[in-house]
Amino acid sequence: MRRGNFAIPVKLWALACTIIGISLTADTVLTCVLTVTGFAYLGAQRNWRLLRSMAVFYALLGILLYLIRFHDFHPAVFSEFYVLMFWTLTPVFLVSWDLITTPPGELASFLSRIHTPTPVILGLLVMFRFFPTMKSELRSVWLSMRNRGLTAPTQLVSHPAASCEYVFVPLLLRCLQIADQLSVSAVARGAERPGKRGSYYGKRADVCDSIWLALWTVVTAVFLVVGGVRI
Amino acid sequence: MKTTQKWNVRDVITTVLLTVLLIVIQLIVNMVCMANDFVSMVLSVGFTMFLCAPVYFLMVSRVHKRFVTLVYMTILGLVFLIMGNWYLLPYYIIVGIICEAILWRDGWESKKKMTAAWSVASLLYNGVNLLPIWFFWDTYEAFALSSGMEQSYIDSFVHYYTSAGWLAFIILFTMLGGFLGSLVGGKLVNKHFKKAGVL
Repeated sequence: MRRGNFAIPVKLWALACTIIGISLTADTVLTCVLTVTGFAYLGAQRNWRLLRSMAVFYALLGILLYLIRFHDFHPAVFSEFYVLMFWTLTPVFLVSWDLITTPPGELASFLSRIHTPTPVILGLLVMFRFFPTMKSELRSVWLSMRNRGLTAPTQLVSHPAASCEYVFVPLLLRCLQIADQLSVSAVARGAERPGKRGSYYGKRADVCDSIWLALWTVVTAVFLVVGGVRI
Repeated sequence: MKTTQKWNVRDVITTVLLTVLLIVIQLIVNMVCMANDFVSMVLSVGFTMFLCAPVYFLMVSRVHKRFVTLVYMTILGLVFLIMGNWYLLPYYIIVGIICEAILWRDGWESKKKMTAAWSVASLLYNGVNLLPIWFFWDTYEAFALSSGMEQSYIDSFVHYYTSAGWLAFIILFTMLGGFLGSLVGGKLVNKHFKKAGVL
């Protein structure tokens, strides 16, 4: 079954609720309540791929946290602090990744409807497309370096500065080229035209959206009341 | 030639793209440095500022307008807000304003001004570690203890960030990292990006 998407206000509200929740809570372990709500929220949108990968990630964090707290386990390569930090931040990761992978047209349409300035809309869309774009660019840079024999461990260790330069410079040049291409594309599609813009992808909120809007509000409020608030 | 200060689409996209790249580099360096407590607490900010300097130089030189640093610092503050550290948003906005003041009169034309702005940004970037200790210690300690962290780790964190000698070393090392990174950034900009015709 294809992935569905809640209306953008619901997604933004979910993100706001998780940020407020983790920023104000006095009981960090209890953030699992927000995480479980986040998993249900992904399930309701049939976003199974994200749900599966995040569930595995969260389970690993849970195991680590259990070992740290009850079996005096101390990881050799990273601090316990970060295990709890990722545990606490998981609900934010869940809803923000769901928002990031929303079709950009839907997001732009909503932001335009609420009179968000065009630079802000553009900035957000660029930010959301950053990770998939950079992933493919880094792969290209790495392949080019390998073709020239620059990825051998001895080369990387004996010339760290040069290796950094070989990665940095093409990546930055590519970033600038991407920025130019995106700008031309945006201007050609009327990004600099003043006034309200419509969209083919605008989605109206339905009952399901209202239910989730209310659910996030209630869950966050109950979570803060039960877990306590700290400023 | 005097250019307009009004931002266009290309400026917005370039600034956001390079800002996200800067933030990703900062997070990656932080994660890698986690492997060792001393590196993580004392050296990581300096390494971060050193590696980020060339990107910052490129961003400021490319956009060639005011408020680039302010936008970068605001987005950085927003990332910290999302991570639950709300107080870092106003802090980084203030840092951005200070850097903008340094760059105000065509600072993007002068390597010295950009170096000064990034060195100051490097110095003030330490706020990410110092603010929790100075203003939010109870919250930080409670979080650290509930994470199962050993008291010795917390003690060494307090030791590094409250002893005058270590504090001076951290601040100097970070500023030096930012300063050297700026020198490298300036060289890279001349060696590659000006030649490539992208600036």
